[in-house]
Amino acid sequence: MIAMSTRHILLGLLAGGPSHGYDLKRRHDERFPQARPLAYGQVYTTLQRLVRDGLAEVEGTGSDGGPERTTYRSTEQGDRELARWAAEIAPPAPFVTNEIFAKVVVSILAGGDPAAYLGAQRAAHLERMRRLTALKTDPGADLATVLSADYALNHLDADLRWMTTTAARLTTLTAEVDAT
Amino acid sequence: MRTDLRLAWELTRGSDRREWWRVGLTAAGAALATGFALAAVSLATLRGRYGIAVGHGLLNEPGTRSGVIAGLLLLLIPLLGFLGQCARIGAVHRDRRLAALRLAGAAPAQVLRIAALETGLACLLGSVLATAGAVPVLLHLWSAPTALTWTGFALVAPGVPVLGALAGALALRRVAASPLGGVRRVRPASGRGPGLLFLGGALLVLLPAPAAMALTSSGTPGVGAGRLPLTLIGLVVTVGAGAVWLAGAVSGLTGRLLAPRARSAAALIAAERLRDDPWASARTHAAVLLVTVVGTGFVGVRQVLLDGLDEMRRLHQLGTDMTYYTTGLGLTAVGILVAAAIVLCGLAVGTAEALATRRRGLAAQAAAGVPRRVLARALLLETALPLVPSVLSAGVGGMAIGVGYASAVSGHGTLTVPYTALLVPPTAYACCLLAAATSLPLLHRSVRPAELRYT
Amino acid sequence: MNTKAEGPVPLLAARDLVKTYGGNPALRGASADLYAGEILAVTGPSGSGKSTLLHCLAGIVRPDRGSVGYRGERLHQLSEERLSELRRTDFGVVFQFGQLIPELTAVDNVALPLLLAGTARPAARERAGEWLERFGVRGQQDQRPGELSGGQEQRVALARALVTGPKVVFADEPTGALDCLAGEQVMTALVHTARECGTAVVLVTHDDRTAAYADREIRMSDGAVLPAEVTA
Repeated sequence: MIAMSTRHILLGLLAGGPSHGYDLKRRHDERFPQARPLAYGQVYTTLQRLVRDGLAEVEGTGSDGGPERTTYRSTEQGDRELARWAAEIAPPAPFVTNEIFAKVVVSILAGGDPAAYLGAQRAAHLERMRRLTALKTDPGADLATVLSADYALNHLDADLRWMTTTAARLTTLTAEVDAT
Repeated sequence: MRTDLRLAWELTRGSDRREWWRVGLTAAGAALATGFALAAVSLATLRGRYGIAVGHGLLNEPGTRSGVIAGLLLLLIPLLGFLGQCARIGAVHRDRRLAALRLAGAAPAQVLRIAALETGLACLLGSVLATAGAVPVLLHLWSAPTALTWTGFALVAPGVPVLGALAGALALRRVAASPLGGVRRVRPASGRGPGLLFLGGALLVLLPAPAAMALTSSGTPGVGAGRLPLTLIGLVVTVGAGAVWLAGAVSGLTGRLLAPRARSAAALIAAERLRDDPWASARTHAAVLLVTVVGTGFVGVRQVLLDGLDEMRRLHQLGTDMTYYTTGLGLTAVGILVAAAIVLCGLAVGTAEALATRRRGLAAQAAAGVPRRVLARALLLETALPLVPSVLSAGVGGMAIGVGYASAVSGHGTLTVPYTALLVPPTAYACCLLAAATSLPLLHRSVRPAELRYT
Repeated sequence: MNTKAEGPVPLLAARDLVKTYGGNPALRGASADLYAGEILAVTGPSGSGKSTLLHCLAGIVRPDRGSVGYRGERLHQLSEERLSELRRTDFGVVFQFGQLIPELTAVDNVALPLLLAGTARPAARERAGEWLERFGVRGQQDQRPGELSGGQEQRVALARALVTGPKVVFADEPTGALDCLAGEQVMTALVHTARECGTAVVLVTHDDRTAAYADREIRMSDGAVLPAEVTA
């Protein structure tokens, strides 16, 4: 999984025009469904860091009859940084960190039941895939929902295929792990 | 060439049962063709009068002998059709294999050679067997065959396989052109190719016939028998040339007319199949047409001739024994029946082959709930529908021959219309339906769900 | 599914099915239930008996032993005629490919089950056209299967399977020959329509992404259905 940069996503949302913190959070959650929702506090601290680094600046403060809100806008340096980041390729899986594999190996070392673990994990994966599929096949689903669900589905499917081949080769793996 | 021969041999050897079936049928067809051709050659090399132990003295006279030769050569026409039919067995499978050869880097000419050699090998088998059988028979019947006879034998024995190989090359030329040809579903735009092949073959067979007859008849002045077969041949060629085209055109037209109007599922499936590929069965249907024309014409001529002979016998004008004529007529009838049998075999083989290629699709239809009897009815309708106009026109053509002969013979006096000939077209039609029905058991086997397993 | 004991009566119930093909056992005691309106995925490695189970459930194949119950009837005891009728009226089938008649146009292919059921041709074609519309292939109604893309062909096949308003649709690797996007469109169309019409679906697939369209999954191995705890 590639680490997400909240900084750059907020900069991107600001590229459309000045906006205040709460509005940014709402637009983020709308634009990226199924992603972990942004906490308001996180939005606030990120905006302050952007201002500190000269990538964004305060546009003004208004209240519109409600609570007082600070509006931010992107700076020229911010636009440049955003363009740089958007064009930069994401490193394809730089480290192989696989919690499932780690658990299988640990389970073998500790004399547990890796097959049962893989079965249970498989069921959990499938359940999640069914949920995501139901979400995207809902007649009211928009394309953003479908695409983000697809992204997750394909990753879960890759995990599942890996689990299937691993389950089929557990005996060999056990022999290998126990031998060393 | 040696690599090609080797590849052709390996391909034949390694092929499945269906391929062996094709090889067997091709060899049998080639054996029959060789046999007929050898008999014709032996007879053609006879000069003047001979005392021959077979055929009630019919073969003694040069004039009647030429008629027998013509008959034997005419029999090669349905055999040619039959060989073409055999080439179609496993065509899809073979198309794919040859296209795969092309994909693997074989040159177009090389693939063509391999294909030709494959058919040629099967024909060679049949021709060798037939020649091996014919030589002792000839030596038994004829103490001292002339050098001309042996030359004829030497030409016929390798000639049949060469012709077979050429037919194979012609039939598969589309695949040779494109490496993807057999994999994609390509359909010939028209039936002109096979039609031309058939016509070309028919001409090839027919051209030597008058020559051979002229050869045998020489030295015997004023034999009218020589002119009659010539007229017959002319008629047959004219009607036959139209037959291939007519069969295909009628199939297409039947399909086009019926498809939008079909009310039942079986009729709809049959009509759409005809519309989709009207030339699929054009060759066999054309052969049916020809045999029907010849059969109807023959029955008509026979009746008129026998009536005339009876008349002459009553008036004591008949010089020869009656059996001389009846044997000749009987021999011709046997020839026509053999031709009919070959054609019906071709029809049955064609239907079975069409079924075998569609096997998986048919199984899927049955699985989807299309009842077997609907599929069976569609299969029979596919044969029955386009044959109605074809057989009707063939009947008319045949009757024309009979009536024409009757009027030519009677000249003055009363015209006898050979009504018995009217029985031939419906009989031919019924036989065709029966031949097509022989593949129904295969249909029942094809629609077994187990076929679904082989994708 | 832990409410089986007091739950609704299954629409289709297979019990201890055994089927052997020329000495090779394809099913060795497989049992499965299908409830009305549910989408059931049958998964498992190649050769585990998925397709044979589907064929038995759909009455296409008679098991050597065991029984399949459908609304009070025992499929293996029915005549071939009655089975054909059942497959025409109550069941629909979609295979990976090859279920359409290559010589018939799309609309005639869809109209075929109606024709077989005795509907007049114009009415059958009209209804077939409506179903093609529903699956977004109305524009291709006069084309033959060979002229359609794989995805269009499968959507025509779906229309044909659903046109009679069946109780169950049997789909054997319906997206097996398709690319991702076309497969997704076919599956979405199938799931939407099945839910709308309350049709149950038996979906045989080796692809977990396709299986995820189902409400429930049974997993097969070596000709038997694995117990529910293993597959959850």
